[in-house]
Amino acid sequence: MEVWTYIQLGIAAVFQGPDLFAIAGFGVPVTPIMVLLGFLLGIAVGATPGLAGPMAMAISLPILISIFGFSPDALLPVMGFLIGIMKGATIGGAVPAILFNTPGTPDAYMTTLDGYPMTQAGKARKALKIAHVSSASGDTFSDIVLILCAPFLAVLVESYLDLPEKTALLILSLAFIASVIGNSVGKGLISMGLGLLAVYIGTGEDFYPRLTLGSQTLAQGFPIATAILGVLIIGEVFKSIEDLWHDHRRAQKRPSYTEVGDQHVHRADLRRIAPYIARSAVIGTAIGALPGVGSTLAATLGFTTGSRRHATKSPDATQFGHGAPEGIASTEAANSSVSGANLIPVLSLGIPGNAAAVFLILAADSIGGFNPGPSVFKFTSGSINPELVMAFGLFTIMMLANLFNWTIGGGFMRVVGYMIHIPKHILLPVVLLLTFTAIYVQEARMSAIWFAVGFGVLGYLMRRLGMSPLPFVIAFILGGKLEETARQAFAATGGDAWFLFTNPIAAVFMALAVTVIVFSTRTRKEPAQ
Amino acid sequence: MKLALKTVAAAAFSVVLAASAQADDWTPPGPIKLMIAFAAGGGADTQARLIAEDLEAATGWEFIPEQVTGKGGMNLAMAIKDMPNDGSVIGMVVTETLGYNMRAADAGVSPSDFTGIATTAGFQMGVVSLSSKGWNSFEDVVAAAQAGEELRFGVMSPRLADLAYLLGKAQGVDFNIVSVKGGRAVMNGVNAGDMDLGFMAGIQGKGVAAGDLVNLASALSEPLRQSPDAPTFADLGVEFNSDGAFVFVGPGGMDPEARDALAAAIGTAISTEGTKSNAMITKAFGGPFIQTGDALQQRLQAEYDEAGALLQAASE
Repeated sequence: MEVWTYIQLGIAAVFQGPDLFAIAGFGVPVTPIMVLLGFLLGIAVGATPGLAGPMAMAISLPILISIFGFSPDALLPVMGFLIGIMKGATIGGAVPAILFNTPGTPDAYMTTLDGYPMTQAGKARKALKIAHVSSASGDTFSDIVLILCAPFLAVLVESYLDLPEKTALLILSLAFIASVIGNSVGKGLISMGLGLLAVYIGTGEDFYPRLTLGSQTLAQGFPIATAILGVLIIGEVFKSIEDLWHDHRRAQKRPSYTEVGDQHVHRADLRRIAPYIARSAVIGTAIGALPGVGSTLAATLGFTTGSRRHATKSPDATQFGHGAPEGIASTEAANSSVSGANLIPVLSLGIPGNAAAVFLILAADSIGGFNPGPSVFKFTSGSINPELVMAFGLFTIMMLANLFNWTIGGGFMRVVGYMIHIPKHILLPVVLLLTFTAIYVQEARMSAIWFAVGFGVLGYLMRRLGMSPLPFVIAFILGGKLEETARQAFAATGGDAWFLFTNPIAAVFMALAVTVIVFSTRTRKEPAQ
Repeated sequence: MKLALKTVAAAAFSVVLAASAQADDWTPPGPIKLMIAFAAGGGADTQARLIAEDLEAATGWEFIPEQVTGKGGMNLAMAIKDMPNDGSVIGMVVTETLGYNMRAADAGVSPSDFTGIATTAGFQMGVVSLSSKGWNSFEDVVAAAQAGEELRFGVMSPRLADLAYLLGKAQGVDFNIVSVKGGRAVMNGVNAGDMDLGFMAGIQGKGVAAGDLVNLASALSEPLRQSPDAPTFADLGVEFNSDGAFVFVGPGGMDPEARDALAAAIGTAISTEGTKSNAMITKAFGGPFIQTGDALQQRLQAEYDEAGALLQAASE
């Protein structure tokens, strides 16, 4: 089977899938509609401070699965919706940042620095348009890199890495994620350790369930949805409710600004911002390809490198932080180009790098029939590899979402500005209710709700202690795989206990894992001194 | 008076009628919870869900599928054990769950704590390798191992790990036995070169037909349908085999009426040509294999009893 055949099959899987409804005899396939709905929802969610893309993905996933079921037909519509949300939220986050000086998503913080001054100067609509163009370009660029890189990386991994090396690679990824997320290596490692501890309850290969204290409720282990939604979403809601408690007297009226002058983005404007977009897109893509680093750092790096260049190249123009369109472009291109590249480790290694990727893996896991990892990109002779068709289906979905982004994204973005007016004391209970409903829909037993509340409290405590919950979640997802691969490597090497060190590539990975932790501890200490 | 007598007689008759109708036509007290011991989306899970769909269409009963996975079906067994035994809760496992796994788990239960309802399909369990390995028979594998090649043998359950060990022992070679989750993982491992050979329970059919994979041996008591020339385990000097089937079970002491009604409905659904489950079982597992009632219960007990011998042999 040739690559070209798979591309055609992937596109066909998206557009010739089951029909949602028919107009004048022509069936409207369900997947593109789901991508569109997800994309629009994503923009609205991104534009609402207090909500974020991963949150919406988390809540939609169980509901989508209960609608579409576990059949292979379900995969593309569900993934399409989730990818739509992911992409929509990226551009949506810029809306409140520009209009109200409140970033909708954490990585849009840098956008406020130039976006809000432009709004104050009466250029709100122009700022939004620039944000949209930059975001859409960064995103598209990153997707193209993903489509070109993921298959090759996967094939490379599969042909050079044996079971011991794969085990070492998982350990290296966990070490890397624990070290770079959050502001303390120690806390990152604790968070990761807790995640591993939680996932090892009730699992394992023995017939007797481990670490359950004899309880039948724990024998199946914690359902993945309760741990992830609990720590990521419910913990965040608890924390926000507490913040709300502290802040509620400080409510202030938002000033409004009238628009002044020309709001169009002209060819000259595009020429001016293009170099900034290009530079930031490359930065964002490179950062996105590393698991765990995330879009906030990409946005910061994009903004600072753009700022430096701007100060030297055009010292007379409006500088970054004072309402420079280039500032918006640098930030938005950088944070948007993370999302596509972040899927490189997901598709080629099965390792998620951020919260959005976590939910994509979760979707693939729950529905079944598609296991992100090296086995996806196997070009078989004779028969068709259905997972590879799915992979090309996903690429098609991403390009389709980009198309929606370029065509209607900008327009829709300008109408969701009112989402900022939704008060948090109404929003948070709704999110909480939806999350519990989503968990119950998927697990259908009351103990799942209690697990989720428990993980919510854990997530809240972690946030109070300044500990990022993301290493916990990623460890929870990778823990099972790590144990399995390690056991298999041990068995495959004929019971060699030193399999991680006797093999050169595995030994290098292990050395890197230690280096990453030591190095990050050092560099974090220096500024403190 | 006459009228009163007539009324009583009529009432009594209608009660009898209703009772006999009930005997012919058992109806579940409410929606039936269907526990599935297999990961969502796999072949076994799909089979269970398709059977439920066909049953819903044929009988009007309502099924609520639920995943209760892990521990080779033992999690399901322990969960279903104390559920109501009026037919409102059933579960799908493999016979191995109530046999080897229950024996090895030593969790204080035995097949008599469960009610066997019906088997649906057996496995075409073969020992499979990539044909690009160049092995045409199991002798070639033994020769490779004797020449010093370290061979990795993929298995998907502890019972199969024991069988792989005994197979090596009977042939005088050592395998590095790698256990993974599910038959698909064995196939992926063999395809990716992480393993040299492994057990596959029917999933190899397409690959064997296409010439990518080769059945080196049958792990059953009889030859494989697809490769009748491959030796059985008995031919290779192993006195045990991996015979087994997918089976619906309920809590112990189930009302025979409920059990038989469910078994009959399942049997009809999977053996009627044109149903979704029949098509799926024929394609993936080589056709339905139905065993019910006391024969099934005895089979489950026998597998449990024989598991002791296998555990003993493999620990020597």
